[in-house]
Amino acid sequence: MASFTAGTGQFLTLGPTRRRSNPKTSSHPKPSTTHLATPIRCQQISSQNPNTKPSKPLKVPLKTLGVAAAVSGVIFLTGGKNPLLSSGSGGSGGGGAAGGGGGGGGGGGWGGGGFWRKLFSAAANADEEKGNEWDSHGMPADIVVQLNKLSGFKKYKVSEILFLDKVKSILVGSDDSFFEMVSLRANGVYTKAQLQKELETLATSGMFEKVDLEAKTNADGTIGLTVSFTESTWEEADHFRCINVGLMAQSKGVDVEENMTEKEKVDYMRNQERDYRRRMDRARPCMLPSSVHNEILSILGQGNVSARMLQNIRDRVQKWYHDEGYACAQVVNFGNLNTNEVVCEVVEGDITRVVIQFQDKLGNVCEGNTQIGVVKRELPKQLQKGNVFNIEAGKQALRNINSLSLFSNIEVNPRPDEKNEGGIIVEIKLKELEQKSAEVSSEWSIVPGRGGRPTLASIQPGGTVSFEHRNIKGLNRSVLGSVTTSNFLNPQDDLAFKLEYVHPYLDGVSNPRNRTLRTSVFNSRKLSPVFTGGPGIDEVPPIWVDRAGVKTNITENFTRQSKFTYGIVMEEITTRDESSNISSNGQRVLPSGGISADGPPTTLSGTGIDRMVFGQANITRDNTKFVNGAIVGERNVFQLDQGLGIGSKFPFFNRHQLTMTRFIQLKEVEEAAGKPPPPVLVLHGHYGGCVGDLPSYDAFTLGGPYSVRGYNMGEIGAARNILEVAAELRIPVRNTHAYVFVEHGNDLGSSKDVKGNPTEVYRRMGHGSSYGVGAKLGLVRAEYAVDHNSGTGALFFRFGERF
Amino acid sequence: MATAREWVGIQKFPLATQTALLEILGTLKEKEMDSLTVLVMGKGGVGKSSTVNSIIGERAVAVSTFQSDVPRPVMVSRERSGFTLNIIDTPGIVEGGYINDQALELIKRFLLNKTIDVLLYVDRLDSYRVDNLDKQIVKVITESFGKEIWRKGVVVLTHAQLTPPDCLSYEDFFARRSDAILKVIDSGAGAGVGAPFRKREVLGHAIPVALVENSTRCNKNDGEEKILPNGTSWIPSIVKTIAEVATNESKSILVDQKLIDGPNANERGKMFIPLILAFQYFFVVKRVQSWIKDDIAKAPKSSWE
Repeated sequence: MASFTAGTGQFLTLGPTRRRSNPKTSSHPKPSTTHLATPIRCQQISSQNPNTKPSKPLKVPLKTLGVAAAVSGVIFLTGGKNPLLSSGSGGSGGGGAAGGGGGGGGGGGWGGGGFWRKLFSAAANADEEKGNEWDSHGMPADIVVQLNKLSGFKKYKVSEILFLDKVKSILVGSDDSFFEMVSLRANGVYTKAQLQKELETLATSGMFEKVDLEAKTNADGTIGLTVSFTESTWEEADHFRCINVGLMAQSKGVDVEENMTEKEKVDYMRNQERDYRRRMDRARPCMLPSSVHNEILSILGQGNVSARMLQNIRDRVQKWYHDEGYACAQVVNFGNLNTNEVVCEVVEGDITRVVIQFQDKLGNVCEGNTQIGVVKRELPKQLQKGNVFNIEAGKQALRNINSLSLFSNIEVNPRPDEKNEGGIIVEIKLKELEQKSAEVSSEWSIVPGRGGRPTLASIQPGGTVSFEHRNIKGLNRSVLGSVTTSNFLNPQDDLAFKLEYVHPYLDGVSNPRNRTLRTSVFNSRKLSPVFTGGPGIDEVPPIWVDRAGVKTNITENFTRQSKFTYGIVMEEITTRDESSNISSNGQRVLPSGGISADGPPTTLSGTGIDRMVFGQANITRDNTKFVNGAIVGERNVFQLDQGLGIGSKFPFFNRHQLTMTRFIQLKEVEEAAGKPPPPVLVLHGHYGGCVGDLPSYDAFTLGGPYSVRGYNMGEIGAARNILEVAAELRIPVRNTHAYVFVEHGNDLGSSKDVKGNPTEVYRRMGHGSSYGVGAKLGLVRAEYAVDHNSGTGALFFRFGERF
Repeated sequence: MATAREWVGIQKFPLATQTALLEILGTLKEKEMDSLTVLVMGKGGVGKSSTVNSIIGERAVAVSTFQSDVPRPVMVSRERSGFTLNIIDTPGIVEGGYINDQALELIKRFLLNKTIDVLLYVDRLDSYRVDNLDKQIVKVITESFGKEIWRKGVVVLTHAQLTPPDCLSYEDFFARRSDAILKVIDSGAGAGVGAPFRKREVLGHAIPVALVENSTRCNKNDGEEKILPNGTSWIPSIVKTIAEVATNESKSILVDQKLIDGPNANERGKMFIPLILAFQYFFVVKRVQSWIKDDIAKAPKSSWE
């Protein structure tokens, strides 16, 4: 087969065929320039695989290497645990695959594969070469020697290589595209056989009507090579057509026998022509957009179609494909030359199979625990069978699979399908993480004992014990639990635990609906911001709110960020004072210094312990995205707690919150890495309200880093209905941003509707504003905020984002 | 009220006072009232208990001069010729500059299911200014019993026997002081629950002000009646005011559970919760869901998608 493609197209050569309509299939290994001169105007361009060349000491141009890497192995590494494999692994596989097809002079298997082999052999040869000595030519200096006059036993050192265009009688510079076609390099050492092979390759490439190689002896024993050539040209064309010939059977050409009669030859030619037309009809149109199409038409308009022009076209077409991520797309052939249409045949890289493979720790293929469906559902549609392989889709698949966090290593790897020429098999190799893991972390805390000095007894061992059982039944179900205490010797003092069961794919692995069931047993202890003093009061005895209970919910993910969660919570809430005694009322410090325990009630039941069951729902719509690192978009959250009348005092309530945040991009910017982010205006509104029974621990509090900045948590008030509004202007500075903000929080006069009116009892205003400036320093926000109620400012350092 | 003791203290009053009191009781009876409940409230140490004792004419309530008054509310009931007078003395609801919620709770619980005919809001005449605390007390009272209570209110100013500071006549001083307190009541009641009082509402019905001097050194007139610097005999006068207020057109306040709990915000709107829930589902959740759908439709697709 003289026609088929080079892996990367760098080595496109013209394979002359005798018949005009013998498109890419002539399998004659004896193409020669003479054929081009035949009166029958039938040429075919075919890009040929470089692997057919004898191994030579070639330095593959970097450009080629780059592409080769992209083609041969799109390997992504994740997990970072085993920095693994290079693109070489994919390449070797490919090389092996194509090896069988690679043939002698005329052709070989599928281009891509062959190319890899060449790549490898090239590398191997280069190694060999280094150690080799070279022989002097042993001839007088400055004479021109024909190639066949050279000795077959000597290793010649080539000092320089010149290209001579015989038509124009000019030397071609090394930047010419032809230069790349020759694998000989200056200062290389070659035998006569190698040089002859090279010449043969050039001659059969179809790019030249005539090509010659001459050596000129130098005084120092080296030789200079001159490649003189006549470029192939065809008639002018004004149409361009691009077809996808991937997965089409390569038609077998019938050799033109030397002893064919003229009639037979004509018949043969007609057949070829018909075949090619049929082939073109069957071929799918390619994806090339009209803009590129027009560009190519303008290239065609430059004059006669020449080999170089075709090279240009090929480069342009391939560039578009590669830019768009179709890394496996190749221009394999140009057909219909010498008509007024140039047909560009492209193998776009259709996926014929998706193979999911598990590997053990040593990289051997093994049986995985994970069910295939779990991985399959993470693959983008574009990575399924029948689509064209796209590297971006591959990356997307990788990210998706990675987000399952089931695998320590993931490779998404396209390789040519040897059974199906032009096809791509997407190989996904996965290394599974251990299913079970347990962790213990400990810390010692030294508590000042009597007299402020730590004693032996005051050293407390604390820490966290956690375990995880992942991927149960291979369906990504998991159980995780953790217990944290600050004192293992007396864990009853403060013991935080969590036990969670996660059950994804509630509707079945094959169902595209993505719902996850979560059940957890939990407890938590938080300082209640309801029992916090206003600006005048500094010391309000704290109230701790302990919650322990069971929670079950179902989360439906609509997009990566938008989701809907609904479930039921059963919990016991206990309110305690500083010394962990259950307290039913808030305390306050009397001016006399005494503490009175007649503050607002802490619980609904009035006993300090509430039990309740309520429904919970949360819908989040988030279409924010990053524009050069600045967040832009919109986020809306509606959250609802619906009391069901089950529990202490039969709590029946509807507690709802609506948060709307908009990140408005104020200036269009070019999106690219390293470009500055746009200035962003953030508008934020938060409404919270409750109808029905409202225990103080569920009251909405105002003030704090996530409410109204510049105030302490709950410093403004605790109320039944609240409204917060905020605006922030972010100005990019270097690679981070500075911002100014204004915020206001208001209880809407509903503080008194909280039993015991904690806002008033602790002398809080119930409303407050603040303004300030700040800067983002990595993860930390440093901001100076002025609290409008007292008119004083303070510098704050906070972690995380306000919005 | 069956246990109401005979009002013997009345006989210890000077004759003129006795006659006046009996006369008032007579008029009350004429109006078909056979019992009268008076609630006494005020800051600590202003002389609430003493006033009660003075009116009853005996040491019915222990007066603790320095202690924080009576620890719990006490009802003193006295019966005289078929008429019962109940006076509920309460502990001061202010302690250390704050409203003592616990004391308030006690008072409320004590008053449960009782009808208040008259509220005596007690303060001293001889303090010169009103402060935030007064406002709070008024507010607390308003919140506890509703603003209607002030229609049955009488402001009682104790320590009435005083020499006003220079350049002020006693009448002037009294007028200013009562004005100030009435203003506090006006604003305090207004700031209370529900719709703010329209100015006229309280002032339209002027809250009467009575003066009291409980001290044994109180000046007396010829008839041995305790009199004020302006010459009026204050016991008959205050009882008369009480009677007048008790019989005015406003209704007495029945303290029931609902009143004690105040307007329970927890109960408000509870019956609408199913409606609210339906609204939230159809107009908020559904809306957000449709936004998400739009987002998905509008999401910029990569060129390969």
